[in-house]
Amino acid sequence: MTFSLRSCSHSAHNASALTPDLCHHGNTRAVSQCMGNKMNGSVGPMRVLVTGGSGLVGRAIERVVKEESGEREEEEWIFLSSKDANLMSAEETRAVFERHRPTHVIHLAAMVGGLFRNMRQNLDFWRNNVFINDNVLQAAHDFDVVKVVSCLSTCIFPDKTTYPIDESMIHNGPPHETNFGYAYAKRMIDVQNRALFQQYGRRYTAVIPTNVFGPHDNYNIEDGHVLPGLIHKTYLAKKEGTPLQVWGSGRALRQFIYSLDLARLFLWVLREYDEVEPIILSVGEEDELSIKFAADAVVEALGFEGDVIYDTSKADGQFKKTASNAKLRKYLPDFKFTPFRAAIKETCDWFVANYDSARK
Amino acid sequence: MNGSVGPMRVLVTGGSGLVGRAIERVVKEEKLLAKHSSDTRAVFERHRPTHVIHLAAMVGGLFRNMRQNLDFWRNNVFINDNVLQAAHDFDVVKVVSCLSTCIFPDKTTYPIDESMIHNGPPHETNFGYAYAKRMIDVQNRALFQQYGRRYTAVIPTNVFGPHDNYNIEDGHVLPGLIHKTYLAKKEGTPLQVWGSGRALRQFIYSLDLARLFLWVLREYDEVEPIILSVGEEDELSIKFAADAVVEALGFEGDVIYDTSKADGQFKKTASNAKLRKYLPDFKFTPFRAAIKETCDWFVANYDSARK
Repeated sequence: MTFSLRSCSHSAHNASALTPDLCHHGNTRAVSQCMGNKMNGSVGPMRVLVTGGSGLVGRAIERVVKEESGEREEEEWIFLSSKDANLMSAEETRAVFERHRPTHVIHLAAMVGGLFRNMRQNLDFWRNNVFINDNVLQAAHDFDVVKVVSCLSTCIFPDKTTYPIDESMIHNGPPHETNFGYAYAKRMIDVQNRALFQQYGRRYTAVIPTNVFGPHDNYNIEDGHVLPGLIHKTYLAKKEGTPLQVWGSGRALRQFIYSLDLARLFLWVLREYDEVEPIILSVGEEDELSIKFAADAVVEALGFEGDVIYDTSKADGQFKKTASNAKLRKYLPDFKFTPFRAAIKETCDWFVANYDSARK
Repeated sequence: MNGSVGPMRVLVTGGSGLVGRAIERVVKEEKLLAKHSSDTRAVFERHRPTHVIHLAAMVGGLFRNMRQNLDFWRNNVFINDNVLQAAHDFDVVKVVSCLSTCIFPDKTTYPIDESMIHNGPPHETNFGYAYAKRMIDVQNRALFQQYGRRYTAVIPTNVFGPHDNYNIEDGHVLPGLIHKTYLAKKEGTPLQVWGSGRALRQFIYSLDLARLFLWVLREYDEVEPIILSVGEEDELSIKFAADAVVEALGFEGDVIYDTSKADGQFKKTASNAKLRKYLPDFKFTPFRAAIKETCDWFVANYDSARK
């Protein structure tokens, strides 16, 4: 996999437009494809491309868009998965943009994994995510996409820091050693957004969720994240009548956000949030929970009655990553998050009902 | 990796630039075979190097960086990934890349040292270039973590010497000063220095840097980068450097400081304590002598010099 050097062309309109006409941007395009780019509140007709559309967050967005009147009139939503394009390839990425001509992009696609996989493969996590992100951001720019909302993570923040962390602190020091490859690749999305703004005035931005959970997660025990891993392990422990083994001490603290809440907030960011600086999307600091608390909720939701053992020989990862959601609350003081136990119950119910097809 | 290395075939990317030419000159003085090229995988295929000195980059002065952060970020990430990955795939024993003190955190204590590279955002004016260079260190560490590769990097302060880019708009401060002084003398006009002249820099002569590069290639075993610079006590103001250029070129007109132009970072004082720990006796060429040599080269090679 190599990068090919490209000149940064401002737009890539080709001759396939019907009757070329000058839209009000001064670009030569078919009038029917000219999309408004009003950024404040109302947007014109939108064609939204969602990369990583089959993943945890992508599925939640799809559900909110389809089932909760999230889809507005004259909006078209396209959910991509790795089957549609390998985004590590610049050519395949561009082909997708060529085919769909999106006005907006929600960029969720990434190489992700749990603590232990990251620790072993920092180079792969770094390189593959840099490729994916550059391919998507550059194609978006070249195809004159009005707005891209990418997805960062609180695990990319500086390891040595004061708490709570906020959006201004992303680059204030090295990330945790265990996943520095992934962390730097994600940070560089923000760098590229700012560079696109500085050089071209693009207002591409990013969100920073805390730990996401919900249906359609990756429940692989080796490689997945902590909550889906717990759900799967509890399910198996119940089925096999064995103890539940939780990795780590159980004392590490996390803020969890239900994927459906995240999806609702993503749509707000796409339509209303104008800043280039990212925004943390999370429950408040007061809702930070220990892994033990989360494990207990899973045990309760699945009706597990066996022993729960904490394997302290396994790493905890970062002890805490407390993030401030003050910026979000400034914009949306009344947004209601789904209560944790109810969200865990829904997620566990989904997992039990979809065990065979769930990613694991 | 300790001291003696077996037969080495060293590929130098960016070999035609300021530092590459200095390395070439030092290497030839040592009667070693040197090749230089600007391609990646095809070149690795053709030359099968055992070692790489990676100097190639998209570089520019303050003003060009300020306007094109995206290009500086992307193009340098491409170049660096292509070289580092090809080196890994072709089982290159060691790659020595080239960072810069301009990539360090803007808000920081002084002097800066090798452990501080990632401790905060770089200066806003060249964040694209700065992050791309920082990511060389990230990729080196990831290559070490995943594959045990001991690729490393050096961090020179402001380099100057023959074969520089003397373009006044896009070049760095010293070659820009040299070119402007040359023209001012020729045309009988004042010398206009951009900025207040008060910004401070440590300058390293390209030939000194080249000698140190060879030592790093052969002897330095760490993955963490190493600052290659004169000491903190040799930090100079832009005004001092301008005066040295004026003297070396025999310019007798007025020198005017245009304070409407940006100074860039006021200071970037770097510690060379790690270098001195390894090489306590290394002698740097005295600044005025190095400036004289550089100016003499520029005058003699004006027509062909990059500008």
